[in-house]
Amino acid sequence: MAKRYLILEDGSAYAGEGFGAGATTSGEVISNLNLLGYQETITDQIYHNQIIIFAQPAIGNVGINHDSYESILPTAKGMVVRDVTNISTNRLSRLSLDEFLQQHNIPGISGIDTRHLIRKLRDVDGPMKGSIVDVADAHAFDQLNATVLTNRQVDQVATPKPYPNPDTGKNVVVIDFGLKHGILRQLSERRCNVTVLPWTASAKDVLNLDPDGVLLSTGPGSPLDLGAGVLDMIRTVQAEIPLFAIGLGHELFALANGAELTMLPVEYHGSSHPIRRIITNDIIYATQGQGYAVIAKSIDRDRLITTYVDLINGTVQGLRHRDYPAFSVQFFADGAPGPHESRDLFDEFMEAMTARREG
Amino acid sequence: MAKVVVDAMAMQRALTRITYEIIERNKGVDDLVILGIKTRGVYLARRIASRLQQLENVSVPVGDLDVTPYRDDIDHDAQGEPEVTATNIDFSVEGKKVILVDDVLYTGRTIRAAMSAIMDLGRPTSINLAVLVDRGHRELPIRADFVGKNIPSSQRERIKVSVSEIDDRDAVEIQQA
Repeated sequence: MAKRYLILEDGSAYAGEGFGAGATTSGEVISNLNLLGYQETITDQIYHNQIIIFAQPAIGNVGINHDSYESILPTAKGMVVRDVTNISTNRLSRLSLDEFLQQHNIPGISGIDTRHLIRKLRDVDGPMKGSIVDVADAHAFDQLNATVLTNRQVDQVATPKPYPNPDTGKNVVVIDFGLKHGILRQLSERRCNVTVLPWTASAKDVLNLDPDGVLLSTGPGSPLDLGAGVLDMIRTVQAEIPLFAIGLGHELFALANGAELTMLPVEYHGSSHPIRRIITNDIIYATQGQGYAVIAKSIDRDRLITTYVDLINGTVQGLRHRDYPAFSVQFFADGAPGPHESRDLFDEFMEAMTARREG
Repeated sequence: MAKVVVDAMAMQRALTRITYEIIERNKGVDDLVILGIKTRGVYLARRIASRLQQLENVSVPVGDLDVTPYRDDIDHDAQGEPEVTATNIDFSVEGKKVILVDDVLYTGRTIRAAMSAIMDLGRPTSINLAVLVDRGHRELPIRADFVGKNIPSSQRERIKVSVSEIDDRDAVEIQQA
């Protein structure tokens, strides 16, 4: 395999071996601490324009299978791993990670001391740009420093047009900010008749469909870049229809209800933090991926109740509206990948819809 | 043959949702008191109260109601004066918003009797009814404000609620007569 480099905007360069596509790419470098689920991770649109460093040292073990896609066209900018392995005897595997990345023009680099790199990035305040390149010369660094990353991530990955995912149960509108398929899978398992709307949908567009419930999806980038229109939509819809929001959707739900957000010094992607469910005072684990967090002190207690909190970094992980059946979680309740124990939030959503219709 | 229609997880969720709905409806927990109808309603009432405590950091008074003497469908008591024999309520309901909690809502007669018992204790601002299961077949004009699960049932069937405090588990089962 060809020798390639990961270069960072602080001037450092790391030599490794290329795999996947041979493309030269730039993106924001982030760390993923999950021990499992590289396929879900690389295909999750929250990683749009990002180069992902994996803490798990062996990536690619079980290849790629048709059950674990979180999007059809992944748009991450690269994978940085310690060892890329393919020892799969998984009956579902039809494709190696290497072939998959070639198909989607995503470069990978292996042989990097990823844990050292992750520790280093932990001490950096703010986002760090990086590139995967063939030659780590002054020209490559100039190119990297001149790269301006878009803040229109949601526009890049969310659907521009509505589409249905028909079934025979409850009518659910999903607002797509770059959703992961795990959300649609959980709704399908519960027989929901889903209509996915673009994130620019107005409250009227939503209410015209007379849904039983509305779900605000996960997505990439900053919720602060999406404008006031979507917040107006949320405020109108939450007063009419049970609402469930995840990830970016949670951040928007918080903003729409007067809370403020802070950008985390380092994005957190992992599943090892205990999360306290306040109402029953028990602990759950879930896959988390966030660059922003709701500022606890900014929460208006007359409007919102804090429902989940991360016990490691203290971040707010869940909110609920005081006046309406509208609730949100920062973590990925669809459990793709990883801990499944928060999936029953989808049951909670179903029961909220039932209570609304029957009450 | 018993069929489990609400398992432990679903029962937890139902109580959680009812708790949030109580907060929604009452705009908080001010002046709230919770009265559980013996036997299993008492444990459900305590669970709702502990959830409210977790969320709002406010201790909501919880009391027990034993309404057996009030039941107008129990023959041996038909002549007797209504009397609350075993309530365990060490607070006033005067001016309070009462949340009445029972496990199963069926004919409505228990609830009517419970309301009489409460009225004898004082004049609450309001009484709301929370039930884990509404199985239909009402004989009185009574409806629940908070319902865990609607289970349309035949009158021949028996609905059995188990709570882990006194039974071996949390579950709602339907038993064919």
